[in-house]
Order: sequence, then C-alpha cells, then structure tokens
Amino acid sequence: MIAMAWTGAFFALCALGMLLAPFVPQRRNPLLVAIAGALASACLCVAGAYALLSGRTVDTTLGLSPLGSTIRFSLDPLSGVFVLITGIVFLATSVFSAGYLQRYLDHYSLKVFTVLYFGLLAAIAAVLLASDVLSFLVAWELMSIGCYLLVNFEHRRDENIRAGYLMLAMGEAGTLAAAVALLLLANAAGSLGFEAIRMNGTRLADGLRWTVFVLSVAGFGVKAGLVPVNSWLPRAHPAAPANVSALLSGVILNLGIYGIVRVNLDLVPPRLAGPGIVLLLVGAISAFLGILYAVTANDMKTLLAHSSIENMGIATTALGAGVVFATTGHQALAAIALVAAFYQLANHSVYKALLFFGAGTVDAYAGTRDLDHLGGLIHRMPWTALFFLIGSLSIAAIYPFSGFSSEWLTLQALLRSAELSSNLVKTAFAFAGVALALTAALAVTCFVKAFAMGFLGMPRSPAAEEAREAPRSMLAPMGALAALCVLLGILPTFVIPALGGALKSVGGASAAHTLVPPFFSHGRPSALPAKFIADFHDLGAQVGQDIVPGRGLVVLHRGGADNPVVFAMATSYGFVVLILLLGGTAFVVRRLTAARRVMREEQWDGGVHQLLPEMTYTATGFSNPVRVIFDAILRPRTVEDTQETVAQHFRVAIVRTREHPHLVDRLVLDVLTAWMAGAAGLLARMHHGKLNAYVAYVLGTLVLFLGIAALR
Amino acid sequence: MTQWVLEGLRAGIRTTRYPFAPETAAGVSPGLPAAGELARPDLERLIARCPTAALASADGRLVVDARRCVHCFRCVRGSDTPAPWQGGYEWATGEGTLGKTFTRSLHIRVVDAGDCGACLHEVKQLAGPYYSLHRLGFFISPTPRQADVLLVVGPGTDQMREALTKAYKAMPTPRTVIAVGTCALSGGVFGSNFACGGGISSILPVDVEVPGNPPPPLAILHALLLATGRAAPAAKERQTAGERMP
Repeated sequence: MIAMAWTGAFFALCALGMLLAPFVPQRRNPLLVAIAGALASACLCVAGAYALLSGRTVDTTLGLSPLGSTIRFSLDPLSGVFVLITGIVFLATSVFSAGYLQRYLDHYSLKVFTVLYFGLLAAIAAVLLASDVLSFLVAWELMSIGCYLLVNFEHRRDENIRAGYLMLAMGEAGTLAAAVALLLLANAAGSLGFEAIRMNGTRLADGLRWTVFVLSVAGFGVKAGLVPVNSWLPRAHPAAPANVSALLSGVILNLGIYGIVRVNLDLVPPRLAGPGIVLLLVGAISAFLGILYAVTANDMKTLLAHSSIENMGIATTALGAGVVFATTGHQALAAIALVAAFYQLANHSVYKALLFFGAGTVDAYAGTRDLDHLGGLIHRMPWTALFFLIGSLSIAAIYPFSGFSSEWLTLQALLRSAELSSNLVKTAFAFAGVALALTAALAVTCFVKAFAMGFLGMPRSPAAEEAREAPRSMLAPMGALAALCVLLGILPTFVIPALGGALKSVGGASAAHTLVPPFFSHGRPSALPAKFIADFHDLGAQVGQDIVPGRGLVVLHRGGADNPVVFAMATSYGFVVLILLLGGTAFVVRRLTAARRVMREEQWDGGVHQLLPEMTYTATGFSNPVRVIFDAILRPRTVEDTQETVAQHFRVAIVRTREHPHLVDRLVLDVLTAWMAGAAGLLARMHHGKLNAYVAYVLGTLVLFLGIAALR
Repeated sequence: MTQWVLEGLRAGIRTTRYPFAPETAAGVSPGLPAAGELARPDLERLIARCPTAALASADGRLVVDARRCVHCFRCVRGSDTPAPWQGGYEWATGEGTLGKTFTRSLHIRVVDAGDCGACLHEVKQLAGPYYSLHRLGFFISPTPRQADVLLVVGPGTDQMREALTKAYKAMPTPRTVIAVGTCALSGGVFGSNFACGGGISSILPVDVEVPGNPPPPLAILHALLLATGRAAPAAKERQTAGERMP
C-alpha cells in the first residue's frame, strides 16, 4: 500500500500543478514546472523503486466505470521498472525545463505548457498503472493526445504542424490497433480486467494469439518507433521543444515496448516461437535502419530521433530473443534476454534524455542544431560538452559507460542461440546478431560525428562563435543523468538483480542468480554450486576466494556439461583496473618525460595564412563514406537543380539540394498516402454540391436504418 | 607480368653509383663557369654580358659566384673569348649539422616557395629509379612535423613567407634548411623585388646551399649527403679544368 500512497501523492501533485498553472504569472510557470514536477516525479521514483525491489504487486480499485467495469490500478514489478525509469526522466526533465522554457517566454503561453505537461505526466503514469482495458485505453489516448499537443507546442511553424499531424494520425491508428487487440482479449476472457485476461491467457487459441500479437506490435510499435511504423518519430523530434523530446524518447517510446511486453508476455504468456522471431527481426531491422539514418542526419535532434529507433530496435531484438528462449524451454536464457531488453530501455532513457537536453542547450545557447554550422562549442560550453560526451560514449556502447552493459548482454543472449534446435531460428538469430554488430559499429561513427562536429574544431557559423554556457539549473540535471550513465555502466551487478525482479510478473524466473552469482562474496564459497566452481577451475580461475569484496562480475548462463565456456563481464572490477592503468600510465609517462625540454609552437596547419571554418571537415563530409557504402538503401535524390545565370549563356552557379527520403517513407508511407489520396478522390465524387442529391443521401440513410430496425 | 619481370632482369640495375663512384654519364650536369685568368678587355666584356652579376673580377682574375649563375651561357656562347667552364655536380656548400643519427633515415619536407617548376622537377627526379634517394636512407615526408630537413626551392615569395616560417617552426630539432637553386640562394633573375626578398636566407637560417638553375639531381643528392656529414662541401674556388662547353 505504501507504493500506492506514493503514486497517489504523484497524481495529487500533478493535479496541483495543473490547477496552479493558470494563476501563476507567465514567467513563474517554469519554476512551477520545476518544483511541482520534481516533487511529483520523486514520489513516482519512490513508488517504482519500492514495487521493483519489494517484488510485490499492489492493487487498488478506484471505482466503477460508466460501462460497469471496475477501474483498477496496480503496481507490479514490471510496472515498477517502467515507473522508476519514467520517474527518473521526469525528475531530470522538470528541473531542466525551468531554464529551458525561458526561451518561449515571449512567444508562447507557458501556462498552457504547464497544464499540458502535468497532464502528460499523469497520463503516462496512468498508462503504466492501469490494470483494466478501459482505463488503459483512456490513459493511452490521453497520453497520445497530450504528447501531440506538447510536441506541437511551437505551433506557429508550418513544418511543426505537418509533423504533428503525422504523429497524431499514426498514433491514433496505433491506438486503434492496440484497442482491437486488447478488446479481443477482453472478449475472450469475458472481462475488462487484466487479472481475468491473464487467467484466460494460457487457454487462447493459436489464431487469436497471432492476431493479438500482430495487432499489439503494430499498435504499440507506433509509439516505440519500430520499423515500419516509425515515420513520425524523426519528424516529431525536431519540432518538439527539447524537454518534450527528452520525454518522448526517454519515456513515451518505452511505453510502446511496455505495451508489447504487457500484452504478449504478461497477459498472454508466450507459447509460440513465431512471434519471438518476428520481434527479433523487426528489432534488428529497426536498429540497423535507425542508426543508418542517424549517421547521415545533420540536424542534432533528427540524428537523436533516428538513434532512438535504433535503441528501441535493440531492446525489441532482445525481447524477441527472450520470447523464443521462453517458448523453447530455455528459462535462464530467456531471463538473460529479457533483462538485457529492460536494461537497454533503462540505459536508453537515461542517455537519450541527457543527449536531448544537450541538443536543446546547444539549440538555445548556440542558436542552431545543424552540425554543419556548429563546432568549437567545447570552449564556450565546457560542461554541456562534457555531459554530451558522456551521453555519446554511453549510447555508442563504449566501456565503462552504460550502453556497453546492455548491448553486451543482448549480443551474448543472441550468441546463446547455439542451444536452440531449429536451424531456421538459428539463422534468424544469426541475422539479428550481425545486424546488431553492424549497428554497434555505426553507432560509434554516428556519435563521433555528433560530438566532434558539434563541439570540437572551429565554429562554422557566427552563431556558434557567440555561444555561451547554459545556467546551472540546466546543467545540473544533465550532470545527474551523466553520473547515472556511468553508474549504470559500472554497476550492472546491482542493476541486473533489480531488473531480474521484474521478470516475476512476466512469468520468468528471476535472472539475478543466473547472471550475478555471489562470485567473490566474502567467505561464502558454498553459495555456489560445486559444479560451477569445478567449471571455473577448468578455466584456471579461483572461485570464492576472498580476493575482492562485493559483487563485481556478471556471468552469463554457464551452459551444459559439454559446453562449460562461461561468458563473463566484470565491469565493476574492470573500472577499478581501468582507472589504475590509466592513472599509472599517466604517472609513469610524466615521470619519464619530466626532464625533457618542451618547445611550444603553433600547430601545423598546412601553412595556410588563416584556417577558415570553411576549410575544416564538415558533418556531411564525415558521414559521406557511410552514405556511399549504403547508397542502395539510402537512395539519395536530388530534389532541386536550379541554375543561376547572369546573361543567357553565363552560368553562375548550379544549386543542388539532396535529400534522403527514408526507406520506410518510400516503401510504406508514400504508398499508403497515395492510396488514401485515391480513396479520398473517389469519396469526393459524392461531394458535388447538388442539394437535391444530398437530400437523397439523408433519405437513403434513414431508410437504411429503418430497414435495419425493422429486421431486428 | 612475366615479360615485365624479364624485361627488368634484362635491363639490370641502371641506378647511378653515386656517391660510391663518380657519375660519368653524359648530360647529368649542365656545369658552371669557372674562375680563370683572362685578358682585361675580355674580362670586362664577359662581366658585362652576365645578367645576374655572377661574374666579377678580383685582382685581374675572373671569379664566379655560383650562387648567382643561371646557366644562361651568355659568357660562353656568342662570346669570342668564352669563360672557362667546369662540369661536375658536387656543388653544395655549407655545414652538415645533423649527426650520425640521421645516416640511414633522413626525412625531407620539400617546400615550393615560388619555384618556376624546374628545381621541383629535379627534386622529383631524385625519387625516380635512376637517382633513387631511398637507397641512401632519404625519404620525402608529407609533413614538417616528421621532417629533419626543410628543402626549399624558389626565391621565397612574400606569399610563401608565412607558410615557410610555419613549416620551419613545426619541425622538431635538430633541423636543417637546404636552399636549392639559384633563386633560393640569391633570388636569381628576380633578385630582390616587390614580390620576393632575394633568397630564402632572408626568411630562414640556411644551412646548406645548392647552386644551379636548376641544380642537377646529383647536386641535390650531394647536399643531402653533406647535411648528414657523409660528403665534403664543394671547394671554395673552382679551378679551370680545361673543359669547354660543347
């Protein structure tokens, strides 16, 4: 009940924020967002952490809905994971907003923003807590619309309006699909409550399972940004304010995955391997396409948006692997894959919120987000640069930052497909593994580009030259998230058991003991199975000796008797060793070179008179090799080819603009748009403006309904 | 491919034997006017014919400033009493400041400081199979950061002054500057004018000078050997060898 009290406090604070907003003066509204938002999200964090760590499910019945069903909220460990992640992102975003919103003070109504912001916060939490179909769908719809309104906050720009409409349209289509999936389940169970659906879940026929799976993945996948329903995401992010972008990527994308997990793993326990394979492949393709378009993007926020698709893809791949393992009886491997998926989601929320804060700060204080026009910001915005660097290293999965742990677990889980029996499934796993490996490499390229082109080198525009550092209220949340990135990276041994607890609600055994054995625990060698210790002796390791204190090692499932190879990662110990090595090397080098005479001269620049920004490497140039290699997928197209002439025959310049229409846009969105336009054209023939025909329509409709009534 | 190998084997080694044996092939050097005794009227006529003031008289003898000669042959051709002429190619003067350390590995950064292309062309010949500077442990470097020798061609135009200074400053010590060609030594036909200061020495401290306009590749090779202390500098005054320009 304690957890529910904290969530109650959260909803109360959100309501308070919404009520106060119209009465607080415009320029005080950011402060309201910061204070009330921070308090509310702190409550949410406590509730989530409590649910996750205690491992208990708390239920509350809120009353009867107009349809006669009970409205139930429940907080189980699965919700707990998402609630905790959400709370952390909310907390950072609320504090960040105080400084960031100042830029809208003279142009847009911040009172409206505050009301919508708290509304969205409450709706998101309600989605995670809802425990019956009706309240879930209502909360989902509120979340969808609140999200649309906030993304479209800068509503006086044409391109934002277009992006907003696409987002709304795709979101609504997704909601519709998800609603059908949930109602099918409710129909089969004869009740709207999740509890009843769960009881009935094991008895479902295969056909219904597939229908529910396809509908829910397509519906929730829209919010998660999975291919091929991701077209709205790269358009919405550049339109949204940075703090909303952080919420969008850090929280709302997670909700999509939450929906998929809730329906396909919790409500309907998996029995078929097929859906798992589909998830695996969808995830792998999303990851690869996401990062490919991220590398070629030059707008910082578009780049981050595409990279969100990539990260959701990685999580979905792990999820798919988990489903396949679970349905083929490999419970321990399933637990590893699912923990990897949750870990990936947690990491992504933290570093993507951080990176969006960074991009927003750059946008606000350097005047542009175009990497081709930035550069040299590290001198003027040193703290922002440091935090953005930590975020970039994390997302590029560089040890010892957070992305490494989850991607490592995901790839290891995919490698364990050797224990599956079907060759077809193994091939799918191999494909996903290769795609993820390629993705990881491209992610490094992408974030080298994002950081180096934005923060290093020379400023390539007057705006970047006059950049200044953000106020502390914006740097503090970035710093906190950066610290969290490091912690999530070096302490997986504490994160994994916590996440393992969430598996209880999706029917899996807790992965904690499989993944993090009390390996170096003080004086407790007997806590490990003797067989396990023997395996390690064969590998030349000593187990259970009092060498180092605490948990520091993640050990992946140790395989069968003929396969005693153990995959292990010791990021916590590795971090200590890394620091010792780096520090020791620095010390030795210093001592050795202390006596040397140092000459300091200007850096060699090729002897040019003055190095101009136009001469330096650009973001476009940096990503060009990737663009050339993947030309067959990217299909760049010249959209404009105008010639500027002085007289009839003298050409001054040829202006050429190239763009890369997204593969999904070309193959899916454009085709659908064309069909819809065709259908609308057919329907438009009815709208010919002849009054007598309209009267005939009314009459016809009346006759039709009377006929139906008479037949019943 | 086979044919190519056979052709190569049949041709044998064509690379010059210099510095282990003197190079005797025809046309490896245009030669320079040499000092000598001449009758006073002839001497004055010859000095008047020289466009770059490379010829002068000292105590009634003809003396030659090789740093100014542009091989125009006005003192030889069309003159009733031609100036004495001398072949050879070991013309580099100066001091080799680089020690034994660089005997087998010397990295050279070539800078074109307003060159007409002739000296640069001769420098390029060094990397060819005939002169093959690599066999002697010399290497052309793309950056001054890794170079020991700054090899400058051209008169040192104002436009290149800054680039040259930057390149020199970017080099690690010990470093040596070799000025190649008459233009780099004295400004040549340009002298000191609105666009250049009459030689590289007005910009950088020059350690080794290679006369010639352009100097033959072997003279440049000699300068590189001199810079590493593997060859002696040219004699102060050239003796009449009795050779005549054909």
